[in-house]
Amino acid sequence: MKQVTLSVRDLKKRIGKREIIKGIDFELNEGEVFGFLGPNGAGKTTTIRMLVGLIKPTSGSIHICGYDVRQDFTKAMKQMGCIVENPELYPFLSGWDNLLHFARMLPDVDETRMDEVVELVGLQARIHDKVKTYSLGMRQRLGIAQAMLNSPKLLILDEPTNGLDPAGIREMRQFIRKLAEEEGMSVLVSSHLLGEIQQLCDRVAIIKGGEIIKTDTVESLLSTQERIFWRVEPIQKGAEILSSFTEITLDQKYIITAYDELKTPEWNAALNQAGVRVHEMNRKLPGLEELFLQVTGGGAGIE
Amino acid sequence: MFLSKPKVLAITIASAFIGLFFLFCLGWAIMDHYGKGTSDKEVIEETAIKKNDFPDDFTVVAIGDSLTRGTGDETGKGYVGLVIEDLKSEYNRKPIIHNLGINGQVSKELVQQVRQPEVKRQIQAADVILVTIGGNDLFQKGRTLLEYDREAITVSQKSFLGNLHEIFKDINKVNDTATILLLGLYNPFIDLDEDFDTNRIVRDWNNETAEVVALYENAIFVPTFDLFQLSVNEYLYSDKFHPNKKGYRLIADRVAPLIKWEDVER
Amino acid sequence: MNNLVQNEMMKLLAKKRLIIIGLIVGILVLMFTYAQYKQVEEQREKLGTDDWRAALQQQIIDTQNRLGSNRMLDEWREQLQVSLKQQQYYLDHDINPSEPGAATFTRMFLENAIDLFIPLLIMIVASDMVSSENSQGTIKLLLTRPVERWKILLSKYVTLLLSVSIIVAVTALLSYLLSGIVFGYQGWGAPVITGFELKGADVDVSQVRLVEQWKFLLMDLGLVWLVAVVVGTLSFMLSVLVRSTPAGMGIMLAALISGAILNNMVSSWESAKYFFMVNLKLTAYISGTAPPIEGMTLLSSVITLLVWWALALIVSFTVFTRRDVY
Repeated sequence: MKQVTLSVRDLKKRIGKREIIKGIDFELNEGEVFGFLGPNGAGKTTTIRMLVGLIKPTSGSIHICGYDVRQDFTKAMKQMGCIVENPELYPFLSGWDNLLHFARMLPDVDETRMDEVVELVGLQARIHDKVKTYSLGMRQRLGIAQAMLNSPKLLILDEPTNGLDPAGIREMRQFIRKLAEEEGMSVLVSSHLLGEIQQLCDRVAIIKGGEIIKTDTVESLLSTQERIFWRVEPIQKGAEILSSFTEITLDQKYIITAYDELKTPEWNAALNQAGVRVHEMNRKLPGLEELFLQVTGGGAGIE
Repeated sequence: MFLSKPKVLAITIASAFIGLFFLFCLGWAIMDHYGKGTSDKEVIEETAIKKNDFPDDFTVVAIGDSLTRGTGDETGKGYVGLVIEDLKSEYNRKPIIHNLGINGQVSKELVQQVRQPEVKRQIQAADVILVTIGGNDLFQKGRTLLEYDREAITVSQKSFLGNLHEIFKDINKVNDTATILLLGLYNPFIDLDEDFDTNRIVRDWNNETAEVVALYENAIFVPTFDLFQLSVNEYLYSDKFHPNKKGYRLIADRVAPLIKWEDVER
Repeated sequence: MNNLVQNEMMKLLAKKRLIIIGLIVGILVLMFTYAQYKQVEEQREKLGTDDWRAALQQQIIDTQNRLGSNRMLDEWREQLQVSLKQQQYYLDHDINPSEPGAATFTRMFLENAIDLFIPLLIMIVASDMVSSENSQGTIKLLLTRPVERWKILLSKYVTLLLSVSIIVAVTALLSYLLSGIVFGYQGWGAPVITGFELKGADVDVSQVRLVEQWKFLLMDLGLVWLVAVVVGTLSFMLSVLVRSTPAGMGIMLAALISGAILNNMVSSWESAKYFFMVNLKLTAYISGTAPPIEGMTLLSSVITLLVWWALALIVSFTVFTRRDVY
C-alpha cells in the first residue's frame, strides 16, 4: 500500500452567500501524478489555494502527509512545494538570490541543496542573472527549482505549462514524469487542457461548478469518451449499418460513434461487406467541451 | 552566519544600531522637555553690550515711527532709504544702515526701545542717528486735532518733551559723538483747517521740541513744516497723513546734506 | 526571524529605493543650501553688514511692524507675538538663533522636514512593503512557506523600522555634509535655547535653558524618528489593506497634505488635535513654536501618535494573518 500524501475531505468554501466549492474529496498517493481538470472558473484555483494555505476553507479538512494544513501549517508546508499560477519571482533579484530568499524560509536547506536544484532544472548558466532578463520558460524552471528546495513529498503545480512554447511544454512534461517516477513524488497538476492532462497524469479529477464530477484513471476516462469519425459513402447506408451496432450521431459528412478497440474492426468489416466505402476513420479525443457535455449529460455547458 | 550576504547583513546590523540610538534620543528629548533632563539649567544672564564689530564703517541708525519706516512710499524706501542712496552716490561707499522704525510708535515706546541692549549696541556704533518721533503723540490718528482739546495737547506735549530728554540722554550715554538729527513735524491737516488752529499747535510743538534739541550739542533739529506748507496734498499719500514718494524726497533732500561723512571723527 | 529580516533587507536594497531617497534628499539639501546662502547674502546687501544681531534686530522690527497691521488674523498675531518674544530673548541674551554652520543648517532642515518631507520619504519605502508582494504575486510564494504569517509580517515591519532609521540618519548626514561645503562644518557647540513654555500668546521663560547644539540636534533626531516610525507604520497598514501601491500612497499623501493645511487653520476646531497629521511637528515643542491648537503639548502629541501607531499595527497584523489571498 502506497503512502497517502494528500487527503482532502469534504472541502467547502463559501464567499458571502455563494458557495464556490461545494464539497471536494480526493486522495493522492506517493509517486502519483494527479490531474485537476476543469474549465476556467470551475474552482480549480480556489481549491489549490486552499490546499497551500492561502485561502481558509469554510469547512472540511486537508492533510498533507498526515499534517492538517490549518492546525499544523508549518509542518504541512514543509512537506510541500508549489507554484500557484505563474511562477512570480522577484524580477529585481538574481535567480540565485530568489532561491536564497526562499531557502532562508525553510529549515535545513543549504547551498549544496541550492546547487542541486539549479542543476536539476538546468539553470546553471544564468542563475546569477537578474530574473527580469529570463524568458518565461526559464522563470518556470526557476519556479520549479524553488518549489523543489525542501525536497517535498508533494508538489502542487497550477497550470504549469501556461504560456510555454511546445518545446517547453514537452520538457516540462518529461520533467514532471521524472519527478514522480524516479523520486517518488506526488504531483498535483491543474489544467484546463485535456491533452496535457492525458499525457501527464495517472488519475484525473474533473471539476466543474465547485464539485468533482468524476475521478478516474486517464485510460478509462478517455476510452469511454473517445470517438471515431467515419467518412463513408453513401452516408445514409453507412449510418444505417453503424446504428445497428451502436449509437451514432451525424455531423455534416461525418458519422460519429464511440471508440471501442475490439468492436471497431467488426463494424468496419460490416461496412465493407455492405459495399459502403470507408474513406476515413478518425479516432479523436473529445474536446474538453464535449467531454463535459458528455460527462455532465449535456445542457450544463461551460461557464 | 547561515546563508547571509555580508553586505546585507552589515547594513541590517548598522541600521539596527542607528534605530536603537534614535530611540534613545527620543527618550532623552521627552525627558529633557519635562525638566528631568541633562541639559544645563543655568540662568542665562543679560549680557553686556557687545562691542561693535565694524567700527570703521559709517553707520546710520534710524529710529522712530512710520516716517522712519517709510509708510506711504510705495517703493518702501522712505526718507531713510533715499538719504542712504544719496550718501552712496556722493561718497561711493555704502554706509551700514539700521532702520528700527516701528509704525505708530510714540515717544514713550521709543524710550523703551533705545534701552534695549541690541539697540544700544547699534546706537553705540552709529555715526549718525536719524529720529522721527512725536507725530503719533500729537495727532493720535487725528483725534486730538478734531477735538481741539488744548488741555490734552498740553499734557501730551509735556510728556513728549520729557520722553525726548530721556531718549537723548540714553543715546548720549552710549554715544555722545554721533550726530542726532531729529525731524520736526509737518501739518498734514493744513488744508482741512480754516482757522489755522492746527498750524499753531504744530508750530508750537516744533518750537518746544527745538528748544529741547538745542540743549544737546550733538543734536540738530530739522524742520519739515515749511516743506509741506504750501501744497500739502501734492506730497501726501492717499491716507492724507503720511508723505508720499515726493514728500519723502523733499525730506531726504533736506536731511542728506547735513550728513558729512568726513566730518565724523571716530 | 533573522533570516526573514535579511530577506526583506535584501529585497529592499535590491530595489534601490534607498538610493533614490538619498538622491532626493541630496538635491533638496543643495537647493535649500543655495536658498539659505542667497538669503544671507541679500541680508548683507540690505544692512551693509553681516552682523547677526543687526539682522535679528531687523527681524524683530519687521515682526513688530507686521503686528501693527490690523488686518491680521488673531491666531497669526498670537504666533507672531510668540516668535517676537523669542527673537527678543535670543537678542537680549546674545545668542545667535541661526549660528552659521552645517550643524545649524541640519537642525533647521530637520525641523522643517519633520511634518511633510521626511514622512514623504518614508512613504516611498513603507507603502509598497506589502502591496508590492501582492501586485507582483510573490505573496503566494511567501505565504506557502513553512513560516507563520505573523512572522512574515513582523519581519517586514522590522525591516521598515530599520529602513526608517537609515532614512532619518541619511537625511541628517547628507544635509550636514552638503551644507557644510558652503557654511563650514562648525556649529556643534553653539548654544540653543530650549524650554520655552507657551500659554496662549504668553511665553514663560522660567524653564528656559541653554543646550549645546549637538544635544539639541540629537533630540530633534529622536523626535523626527518617532514621527517617521508612526507615519511609516500607517503607510505600512495601508500597504496591507490596499492592494495597489499607488492607492496606498495616494491615501497617505492626502492625509499628510491635509495635515499641513489643517495646521494653518484648525486653531478653532479643537478635536482636530486627535488627528495624527496635526501632531507631526514635534520639534516645534522643544524649539518653542506655538502648536496649531492651544493646549497641545509634547506629551499629548506623542501619546496621540503612539495610539495611532498601535492601532495601525493591530489592524495590519489582524488583517494580514486572517486574509484569504486570491
